Amino acid sequence: MTDAKTLAYINMYAVLGTLENLCELDPKASALVADIKPISVGFEVKDGPSATITFKNGRCRMEQGCTDCDIKLPFSSCEKFNGLIDGTVTPIPSKGFIHIKFLLNTFTKLTDILTAYMRPSEEDLKDEEFFNMSTTLMFYTITVAISQIGNYDKIGKFSAEHIVDGDIMMSIKGGPKSTIRAKNGHLVTIKKAPEDPRSVMEFGSMKLANDLFNGKVSAMAQIGEGNITMSGMINMLDNMNRILDRVGLYLA
Amino acid sequence: MANFKINEYDKSREWFNRATKVIPSGVYGHLGPAEGNFIPVSAWPFFSEKAKGTYFWDVDGNKFIDYMCAYGPNIMGYNDPDVDKAALEQAKSGNCITSPSYKMVELAELMVDTVKSADWAFFAKNGNDVTTLAIMAARNATHRKKIIFVNGFYHGVSAVVQKIDYPGVLPEDVANNLYVDWNDFDALEKLVAENEGEIAAFISTPYLHGNYFDNQLPADGYWQKVRNLCTEKGIVLIVDDVRAGFRLDVAGSDHYYGFEADMICFCKAIANGWNVSCLCGKDFLKDAVSGMSYTGSYWMSAIPFAAGIANITKMRELNLPVILKEKGQKLCDGLKEAGKNNGFDLVVSGEPALFYLRIANDNTMMLHQAWIAECVKRGIFFAGHHNHFINYALSDADIKHTLEVADEAFKVVKKEHPEAF
Repeated sequence: MTDAKTLAYINMYAVLGTLENLCELDPKASALVADIKPISVGFEVKDGPSATITFKNGRCRMEQGCTDCDIKLPFSSCEKFNGLIDGTVTPIPSKGFIHIKFLLNTFTKLTDILTAYMRPSEEDLKDEEFFNMSTTLMFYTITVAISQIGNYDKIGKFSAEHIVDGDIMMSIKGGPKSTIRAKNGHLVTIKKAPEDPRSVMEFGSMKLANDLFNGKVSAMAQIGEGNITMSGMINMLDNMNRILDRVGLYLA
Repeated sequence: MANFKINEYDKSREWFNRATKVIPSGVYGHLGPAEGNFIPVSAWPFFSEKAKGTYFWDVDGNKFIDYMCAYGPNIMGYNDPDVDKAALEQAKSGNCITSPSYKMVELAELMVDTVKSADWAFFAKNGNDVTTLAIMAARNATHRKKIIFVNGFYHGVSAVVQKIDYPGVLPEDVANNLYVDWNDFDALEKLVAENEGEIAAFISTPYLHGNYFDNQLPADGYWQKVRNLCTEKGIVLIVDDVRAGFRLDVAGSDHYYGFEADMICFCKAIANGWNVSCLCGKDFLKDAVSGMSYTGSYWMSAIPFAAGIANITKMRELNLPVILKEKGQKLCDGLKEAGKNNGFDLVVSGEPALFYLRIANDNTMMLHQAWIAECVKRGIFFAGHHNHFINYALSDADIKHTLEVADEAFKVVKKEHPEAF
């Protein structure tokens, strides 16, 4: 029901891409890359995604492609790259051996912090600040994953092709907002609110969003209770929600 | 500004809270708040108390002029005295009995006499029962696998008539489904040529009355060309008349548009809310249906048969579709005019007895949703993105009241959204 290529795109842009938000929002993560010489790590996956993550001035930014990076990590297949994310594959740089210390220390620490937020313990979630951060980072991961599934997963593509052109705003009240931009059946996620959305879906609180992400409450019942609000071109949301249903298959 | 009472729904919400504890989604399916037709959900009631004629009352005591008609079954008016009398009389004799009541034969004879293309009638309970039966029967008759659907279709809930991205549906379930755009005969002809000898059936509603988009009538000559193509290629032509059936023509919507289906599916309006559906078909498909294992515990219950006989008889006597069209046209003309007077471009599409509404001032539907919600809060039950239904009990006074509420709702939305004007 899932495929390695789609998972590779999710792992690249939705999982590693959330390092951007982690460094922006988490002081510990930001501190790790605050005083270092700017450095970029490229990931190149055969028959899959390629991207470069640049760490500079306590921030992190991901861009597509990896023609110009300090460290380059090639992967012979999507499966191998997915193995990196689930910890079963150790990458070997094809370029930038002298920066291996950054990979083994700083980069690993960053991904460990991200993992703690993405797979939190019940104990950690009792801390409100941690809870909100975890929920926010999950939100960004999920909203980016929607576009990857819509563009690469066979069933997700069917849904995406039925989304009319325009911007969908997906948001948590008082929290993060994302744009899912649809054009000719292709989806792009932008991690900020659209200026002119054609449709809007908003979760009523951080707690509700977290409960939804963790399967603790029914989305359908929450819509009925008015805790999830929808407006605008409902067929855009209807099709996007079919993709959203598949996010859990890949990120579980 | 408000002249009309604004509804409150405290008891509806109390019932919904109870419902979500014991029923998936609280109210599932097309009557539920998660279907996308209730935006914002706060404007709609969730549970009813009673109904009569063209009205229903919710559990908070709010009265509605109901333009959804239970999503179609209410064609004569809720609790129509003639239909209900027949049903209640039958209840005294029996309903679900080991041997089916002779009422089944009487209703089958009436269906065959009423529906122009029908040589036989097979009864079940819901629209899905008969659309699924029609597809299976077409495969049984032709020994072919593939079915052509029209994009934007809805033919029920069986896996075979759902889509690949619906929860619980496997790619294998829909692997033999082909899709073509409505009214695009050239594309249909091409699809048939590409799958020569493999297509069992083409299934379509008589016109495109799907949700979320303007409804589209058949282009001139479209159905006649489709009919000829199906005949030439040995493809079974199935018309899903579950939604439109009896509102356009008591002889079937295929008759209304000047062609004959090989099989035609009915449900909603057959018995004015008493639960029965019916597949009618041509003689050459009768054996194919006879040979199938297809039945249900309550499919031969007698009360709906008696109600159906009374309802169809009454519809025929009244020539009901003509009346429904007139009522629908009057309402739609009034709504458009009220919109125009307030600066709204209200687009009305589909057939007047099943009119579909869309405010076209913006491309987001948000103004439309706001207007629909203001109407509902004032007791006019519309749905956001579904065709509506006219019933016989709707009076001129009801239409006048609807137009007054619609006018006020337009004014409220205009005031709240000055940026749009």
